[in-house]
Amino acid sequence: MTTYIIRRILLLFPTLLGITLLTFLLLRLSPINPASSKGQGNEHGGKAMTAEARTQMLKLYGLDKPPLVAYAEWVGRSLRLDLGDSFVDHRPVAAKIGERIGLTVSITGCALIISYLVAIPLGIIAAIKRGQAVDRTISFVVFVLYSIPNFAAALLLILFVAGGDYLNLLPMYGINSINSSEMGRFQWLWDRVLHMILPVVCLTYGSLASISRYARVSMLEALGQDFIRTARAKGLPERLVIFRHALRNALIPIITIFALELPGLIGGTIIIESIFSLPGMGQLMFQSLDTGDYPVIMGITVLAAIITLLSYLLADILYVVVDPRISYE
Amino acid sequence: MNTVPVTHEGNAQRLWRRFCSDSFARNGLRVVVVLFILAALAPFLANGHAIVRVADGQITFPVFRSLEPIEWRFLLYVPLAGMAYIFRRPLSRHPRRGLVVGGSFIVLVEIFLHLTHPINDPSNDRDSAASFRILPLVHYSPIETTPDQFSPPSWQHPCGTDSTGRDIAARMLHGARISLSIGFVSQGIALLIGVTMGSVAGYYRGWTDIGICRFIEIMDCFPTLLLILVVISFTGSQNNMFCIMAVIGVTNWTGAARLVRGEFLRLSAQPFTLAAKAVGASDLRIILRHLLPNSLGPILIVGTFGVASAILLESSLSFLGFGMQAPTPSWGDILSESRRYIDFAWWLAFFPGLAILVTIMSYNFVGEGLRDAVDPRLRVK
Repeated sequence: MTTYIIRRILLLFPTLLGITLLTFLLLRLSPINPASSKGQGNEHGGKAMTAEARTQMLKLYGLDKPPLVAYAEWVGRSLRLDLGDSFVDHRPVAAKIGERIGLTVSITGCALIISYLVAIPLGIIAAIKRGQAVDRTISFVVFVLYSIPNFAAALLLILFVAGGDYLNLLPMYGINSINSSEMGRFQWLWDRVLHMILPVVCLTYGSLASISRYARVSMLEALGQDFIRTARAKGLPERLVIFRHALRNALIPIITIFALELPGLIGGTIIIESIFSLPGMGQLMFQSLDTGDYPVIMGITVLAAIITLLSYLLADILYVVVDPRISYE
Repeated sequence: MNTVPVTHEGNAQRLWRRFCSDSFARNGLRVVVVLFILAALAPFLANGHAIVRVADGQITFPVFRSLEPIEWRFLLYVPLAGMAYIFRRPLSRHPRRGLVVGGSFIVLVEIFLHLTHPINDPSNDRDSAASFRILPLVHYSPIETTPDQFSPPSWQHPCGTDSTGRDIAARMLHGARISLSIGFVSQGIALLIGVTMGSVAGYYRGWTDIGICRFIEIMDCFPTLLLILVVISFTGSQNNMFCIMAVIGVTNWTGAARLVRGEFLRLSAQPFTLAAKAVGASDLRIILRHLLPNSLGPILIVGTFGVASAILLESSLSFLGFGMQAPTPSWGDILSESRRYIDFAWWLAFFPGLAILVTIMSYNFVGEGLRDAVDPRLRVK
């Protein structure tokens, strides 16, 4: 097991190198470029950039070097845990990511936990009532939810419950009210919670389908095992059979897929963050792409890649840890 | 002695029968077909020009004047495909004759299209005098602006109008063509790349396999939208439909590749592959004739789910403003516009959202049905 984990961790490095190289080259070859996006000042009321200023700027940003040399330099710096400074406001990338990631993780984390808390009982009920009306209703409803595009849902939720012509129960956008700095601690927290409800709902409902289906299948599998028949045969009440014998075994595979959901924690919320004007990672990525802020894009990519790779690894390890019958030896 | 009844049922027929036994899948397929028909007939369903118009004793068909080359192409090739299907028996006996006829038809159509210029006519003949006329179901074309802005759904505008008075129903009908074709074509591209990668990795194994697997892993580590937005920047401002299709295709093939690789690993240990090798079949022949047909079921399933996710991805891109260029209607585009007027114009978000929901749901039902039909052991319902 230890050698397996060590081998897997060693394999992470070439993959990471590949990801960053690919991103770097893609960015350098693409028309996304800080000099060009700032040079378009004309239409935005600014002055067009002179050729001289342009070359100066390219030099300042290190864009005059060949891509591979620039990449090597970037790797060298990153190995010393320095992700560089943003092209736009010249602040360290790590600081820019640091101030955003908390918000994103709190929203996606809430969404992830709530979707598991709702979906697993749904899946288990569906499995126990297999083939009955309850089962079919649950399957159908989560399927419909899964098919609703979350940006459409977000817009309609805003319209109907948050400040449109209809109900005005929840705040429309932002992460706190304007006067939040004057609030007491609990009032501030309550305000934050109110602001988070809609984004979390929009991120939650779609994943119910896959998790509840997974829970249902693994519960059905567990219920079909011999030890369940034994438990019933020795006269255990159905409640005990389900909760003590079947459920515990059914949860094993569900734990492992939980790890696979972790990468979604920091990415994949561009649309929801932009609708609700949340200053999170998705928005940062979107802005950086818009302004050609290479160091920030690279920083986000590296972070996303590391988390993705580690959670795949975690899933594989958990698989063995929770179920001793499996081994990688 | 027990006798087993012999059935003369092919693989495809069995698949179809199992597929049809699932009511969700059946109805999902029906909805998809209806959507395709609606999309194909969009210019005849939503247009400012009359289908038939009688004025001054002359019968004219103004709707044809407003068609663009791509629509003509569609109108002329669909009957060709229909004819090919009807005459498939005689055609299979004389394939060369069929090729000659079909080829010359295509050449004629293309010449005709190059001779006629597209008349992109913003005018309409709703109000012109005529003794008799049949207007399309929705009396407006998708790019036509009218003075009644933000009108809620009514008999005149079944799904309301937007900020410039364009009819939402017309835009959605025409947008269906974009969404459906993007879903289909981009998934086709993704399958092409994915199946090739997966079959090479699964068949040759060894270092090839390791290399391709690393590459798949690298692709999977990118946040999807980041990758797409970077790739899309290469096409500059001229985002036409084919750029979007290509971008979605080249960024979404890893699922298919993983699956095909797995299938190939499993199948190449089976006796029939060994037998094919033993009689000296070439690698290409084993892949194309033995392994690929046997993994067609799973590929079909991935493809169907992929179409659904490609449609969703396209509308997300349009929503973020990276979709088709301005006048081209698309579902995501209408939704994106609705953002600015969301405090009152519910119809701007509701109808396109519903359209996306229905499309994705039907595709997913079809995918589910296929999954159950291909492998009944996995049946969940």
